[in-house]
Amino acid sequence: MDLRRFVDLYVAETHENIRLLQRSLVDLQADAPEGAVAEAFRAAHTLKGISAAMGYQTVADMAHRLEDSLDEIRAGRLDADAGLIDALLSAADELEDEIAAAIRIGPSAPGLEIDPGAVPARTTVSLSPAPAGTTFVAHVLLDPAAPIKSARAMLIMRSLGEMPAVLGSDPAQFDDSFDGSLRIFLSASADPAAVAVLIRSAGDVETVSVRAPETVPERGGDGGTQPGQGRQVRVDATRLDGLADGLGELSVLYARLQKADIPAGVDGMVDRLGTVLGELDHEMRALRMVPVREVFERLPRVVRDAARSVGRDVELVIEGEDVELDRSILDDIGEPLVHLLRNAVDHGIESTGDRLAAGKPARGRIRVSAERERGSVRIMIEDDGRGVSAARMAEKARAAGLYDRAAPPGTDEELFRLMSMPGLSTAEEVGAVSGRGVGMDVVVSRVRALGGAIDMRTKSGLGTTFRMRLPITLAVAQALRVRVGGEDYAIPLTHVTEAVELDAGANTDGVLRVRGHRVPLVRLRRVLRVSGEGSEEAAVIAEIGDRRAALAVDELVGREQILVRTFDAVTGMLPFFSGATLLADGRPALVLDPLSMI
Amino acid sequence: MARTVLICDDALFMRTMLADILKGAGFEVVGEAQTGAEAVKQYKLLQPDLVTMDIVMPDMGGIDAVRAIVKEHPQARILMCSAMGQQALVIEAIQAGARDFVVKPFQPSRVLEAVQRVLG
Repeated sequence: MDLRRFVDLYVAETHENIRLLQRSLVDLQADAPEGAVAEAFRAAHTLKGISAAMGYQTVADMAHRLEDSLDEIRAGRLDADAGLIDALLSAADELEDEIAAAIRIGPSAPGLEIDPGAVPARTTVSLSPAPAGTTFVAHVLLDPAAPIKSARAMLIMRSLGEMPAVLGSDPAQFDDSFDGSLRIFLSASADPAAVAVLIRSAGDVETVSVRAPETVPERGGDGGTQPGQGRQVRVDATRLDGLADGLGELSVLYARLQKADIPAGVDGMVDRLGTVLGELDHEMRALRMVPVREVFERLPRVVRDAARSVGRDVELVIEGEDVELDRSILDDIGEPLVHLLRNAVDHGIESTGDRLAAGKPARGRIRVSAERERGSVRIMIEDDGRGVSAARMAEKARAAGLYDRAAPPGTDEELFRLMSMPGLSTAEEVGAVSGRGVGMDVVVSRVRALGGAIDMRTKSGLGTTFRMRLPITLAVAQALRVRVGGEDYAIPLTHVTEAVELDAGANTDGVLRVRGHRVPLVRLRRVLRVSGEGSEEAAVIAEIGDRRAALAVDELVGREQILVRTFDAVTGMLPFFSGATLLADGRPALVLDPLSMI
Repeated sequence: MARTVLICDDALFMRTMLADILKGAGFEVVGEAQTGAEAVKQYKLLQPDLVTMDIVMPDMGGIDAVRAIVKEHPQARILMCSAMGQQALVIEAIQAGARDFVVKPFQPSRVLEAVQRVLG
């Protein structure tokens, strides 16, 4: 049999287990060593088993040795001191490399046949059959943001009470592995509408649909899918991207279609197209959501390594791992997060001696948390270190020729703007950990490229907090289309509060009065260096946090749905764009980043 | 007549915050308890329409208090207040007879929604 069919599954499974292994190894020094050893052991054991099944004997042997060491620790025959944990962590790294190599090169013991049953398919939840007598099945999906979904599911089952129509549920028991989706089997005596109402009344329910039991669809054996009947399917992420791109283009086409002359008789179909597109878009977004855990779980290791290399004692607290983000956004924030964390360890947290002298707890503390906030996700990185010194930062910037004022930045905003200037390393000397290369400017531009925002608050002696706000999804955004000097630009509506008309000749002082507030006027013609014909006749008010600006444009064209394609900044290009898009009429436009102008 | 509530939490801060949210929704806070044992005693005395119950409290935790209250008053309407990461305890509390739960940090709207469900 062809083992290549299982490679995708193997990759995913090993990835999970390597992360689990690393995380539990890091946990080994913390409070609950017993659980951590058991977890690490289990991960190594699984890695050994599935690698052997794939015929990757070298990997299996390495995993086996790790497993042995962990067994010794578990039995109390080996002491898990820092040195040993270091050694185990490097072994885990080597194991990861070896896995990558094995996947590239193929089995080290070619020709090994395996029984498909031997490949663990833990992630495949088999669809349990409906009990006899099932006439309806209630499909319930909990709000993805709902806390403790298993408890909510129990309440849902309880809300149906002793209703004799309830024959059972899938899953039958609710524990930590419950993902928020359940099916409830009902007999013919159930009133579907009444059942739906009762289920909703239990709270945190996103959707309920009561319908006839489905027949399990046949799954073809085409490489990507797993053997057997799976309710969950693992899909290569690039395929999802492809789908999302296609859907995005469809949405844009639909927007263009709406503007065209639609012959009578077809308009109904166009409306229907819009509805279906909306539903597809909703589904697509849900499909692309992944918990931030996937990135957060790498962080303990980052902090531990950084702390050890500079001799700091640091505790990392992680909260909100279940908060979900679009996968493409999550992929892009990993690096900025790692950078901010290393920075916090390297420059924020003081040495134990300094901390004690300052009357602080000996152990430094860094908290990383994620929280859903209406249409966005907020990620905070807080440390209780010494804070950023504005005076020292100004000195550095002066030395680098980036700052010419005598007084240091007076507000956190100014200080952060200074810190994020290209060419200014945040370290006084290049630190051993945060190192050269990635600076705060990269962090800021990465977050902005995602359509997000980042700010910083710092208090001398008390610590520093970075706050990132990220859109939940990237693909399609609402934007205001404007024209400046004959060219089209799109401004994402996320940051737009209103648009106003400009009186010709007025506002020459660079300030616009909007309802009694003085708002700085940014002349896009000047900023974007366009000189085509036309004159500034309108202004778009953009707001980020408590800062506002009025962007003067020639013309407001209207609101459009756009598909933003981010791009890496081209050298020499003005730094005011977050991406490009095709407008509804097919014309290309740059997407303005109001954040860069406020 | 205002509906009555007994607030059980060992932290004054949490009690104050809950009282604030519930008063805003027209409840009358008739009692506060800082321990599970006190909660049981006060429930008997006050027979409130609603109880909010913290999970971790000294001198009999919230879950045991739920058991004790529900044993004598099966109709008791108890809302568990859990911290993050207390998944297993919340489940235990529900099995013990709690009607619903909210997770700290509290969002007033979520608390009131849960209260509606508990009383509904």
